Amino acid sequence: MTEKTSTEEFPFVDEHSGPLLRLTDVNTSFHTVRGEVRAVSGVSFELARGETLGIVGESGSGKTVLSRSIMGLLPRSGVSQSGSIVFDDTEIVAAPVATLRDLWGAKIAMVFQDPMTSLNPVVRIGRQITESLRLHTSMDKSEAKATAISLLEQVGIPSPVERFRNYPHQLSGGMRQRVMIAIALACAPRLLLADEPTTGLDVTVQAQILDLLTSLQEERRMAVILVTHDLGVVATRTDRIAVMYAGKIVELASTTKLFANMAMPYTQALLNSTPRLSDPSHTRLTAIDGRPPDLIDPPSGCAFSPRCPYATEQCTLEAPPLRAAVGDESHLFACWNPLPGASAGAVLTPEGAS
Amino acid sequence: MAADSPLLSVEDLVVNFRKSGHTVQAVAGVSFDVIEGETLGLVGESGCGKSTTGRALIQIEEPTSGAVRFQGTDLTSLKRRELRQARTGIQMIFQDPISSLNPRRRVRDIVAEPLDIWGLETGDQRTDTVNTMLEAVGLDPKVAGERYPREFSGGQCQRISIARALVMKPKLMVCDEMVSALDVSVQAQILNLVEDLKARYGLTLLFIAHDLAVVKNVSDRVAVMYLGRLCEIAPSDDLYHHPAHPYTDALLSAALEPDPSAVRERVRLTGEPPSPINPPTGCRFRTRCPRAEARCAEEMPELVEIAPRHQVACHFPLLNTGS
Repeated sequence: MTEKTSTEEFPFVDEHSGPLLRLTDVNTSFHTVRGEVRAVSGVSFELARGETLGIVGESGSGKTVLSRSIMGLLPRSGVSQSGSIVFDDTEIVAAPVATLRDLWGAKIAMVFQDPMTSLNPVVRIGRQITESLRLHTSMDKSEAKATAISLLEQVGIPSPVERFRNYPHQLSGGMRQRVMIAIALACAPRLLLADEPTTGLDVTVQAQILDLLTSLQEERRMAVILVTHDLGVVATRTDRIAVMYAGKIVELASTTKLFANMAMPYTQALLNSTPRLSDPSHTRLTAIDGRPPDLIDPPSGCAFSPRCPYATEQCTLEAPPLRAAVGDESHLFACWNPLPGASAGAVLTPEGAS
Repeated sequence: MAADSPLLSVEDLVVNFRKSGHTVQAVAGVSFDVIEGETLGLVGESGCGKSTTGRALIQIEEPTSGAVRFQGTDLTSLKRRELRQARTGIQMIFQDPISSLNPRRRVRDIVAEPLDIWGLETGDQRTDTVNTMLEAVGLDPKVAGERYPREFSGGQCQRISIARALVMKPKLMVCDEMVSALDVSVQAQILNLVEDLKARYGLTLLFIAHDLAVVKNVSDRVAVMYLGRLCEIAPSDDLYHHPAHPYTDALLSAALEPDPSAVRERVRLTGEPPSPINPPTGCRFRTRCPRAEARCAEEMPELVEIAPRHQVACHFPLLNTGS
């Protein structure tokens, strides 16, 4: 159906110029009994209007904390945050809740992994959709209801008029996730953060939900950040991919370039350890020894070095900065010994990262 | 036992649950064999009955009818004591590695528990066996043995579960979604470990999972389930290259490959599986099937062999030979 193909230039530029979202040296830490957990460290990137960015990482890589930081959804205490997250001229880091409330639902929306716990179980789904419409737009009750029913129809819910009066428990997992998407899209946000939107859904339903997201995005020229652990989810549906490991972006490139010419050994390891349908049975997987590091006491130097087959002494001493590949400024990676075919150019300062 | 004779033979297995006055047919007449030394994969979406089938084999879930023959003995006909003895030859690994280990016992005692229950080994012999098993699953017995499960990650807990299963020297291991809770890099370690242990201990595996690529990776043959019934069984490569059941075809085309250039002809299913409380008449897949005709509503298709070792339950199978 509406499979995305990666393009070098992103065709969806709306009336504003400049990036929709700009992250500069974002750090997020949690204070725990055991010490400070550096969940996100030194993340910088820009997101163009209408672009789809995939953020890929294993559990504990910081991908979910990063998406919550962008949303401004971190707890108010026990967290320290630095750096800057600018969404369309609005600074999100340390913004007052009132500012964030104007953004939430209206300009930035989020779809979470578990639709059962993110929907209110004692409120009819119709009301959960109209709530943000009444709050952020001047629609009256009946206009909001009509819009909500049309949204339910757009996300592929059969008999939307009847479903409008249902409670979440009356719907299946796939239907609930569609309702979540309808709620997220109600006020036509400029940015949709989808955090593992299809994890836990069945394969056939997962394909339906991803297709739905892709087609709605194209209709609405909305930017999407798709956060997932699954390279399969982002391979055909994103313009660019950021790979995260131990709280840092370790590689960032256009989707086609990333798969064709990856530079970071971790990206390669992640791909090689994923079983593929196209491989014959009993194909030996290239597993990565060990497991992701403890973010309270991360290894010195490159966080991947203890598991990396190419690690040298330099890797254990000095953390590699995120640099652009020679001849391709849009391909960034953080590695002292990149894979053959990739070589690093100048170090990018956070301000210069794009 | 002769080569190619089934180690496990399931005949017309039915498992019904009673739920608020309704009968839910979780498994509705399933038959298959598991040949000694092979890995049979069982795939399907949630609610298709694959886990219930796995549990019914070792009678954790009591089958409503049907037979489960293991090494020639029908487990459903045995008395409780005989059943306990017979099923030591079958061990099960569950999805959630952390909750399937007792949090208050040391790893050494968790692994030794089956030996203790059966009074098989004590003292140095018990210690040796536990050490061997922990080493076999890639854990250092000196370090890991004295610790508690909470000190281990999900992948390591799954290794401990495997060690505990192996200690009884089983013939058959039933793995129910054993890698679905693990990260990709850890999942690969466990899948490789399973392959190694299978060769080393001459195991036969029933590998139940929802992830098609994972199942293909470990299996010699794959069975596909939908709403309590088997749709198709075939050697893995055959099934993935020439799916004959429209449901298998749809499942394969919905799978996501980590490759931007992977172009598949997409067969899109609409809707979701119907409720097993009130399954469709005839073929259970017909309500979502692009090939369904009137006959599918009237007559339930049985598994028939369409190629050597390739069985399909469909009135209108896809019989293309090209891929």
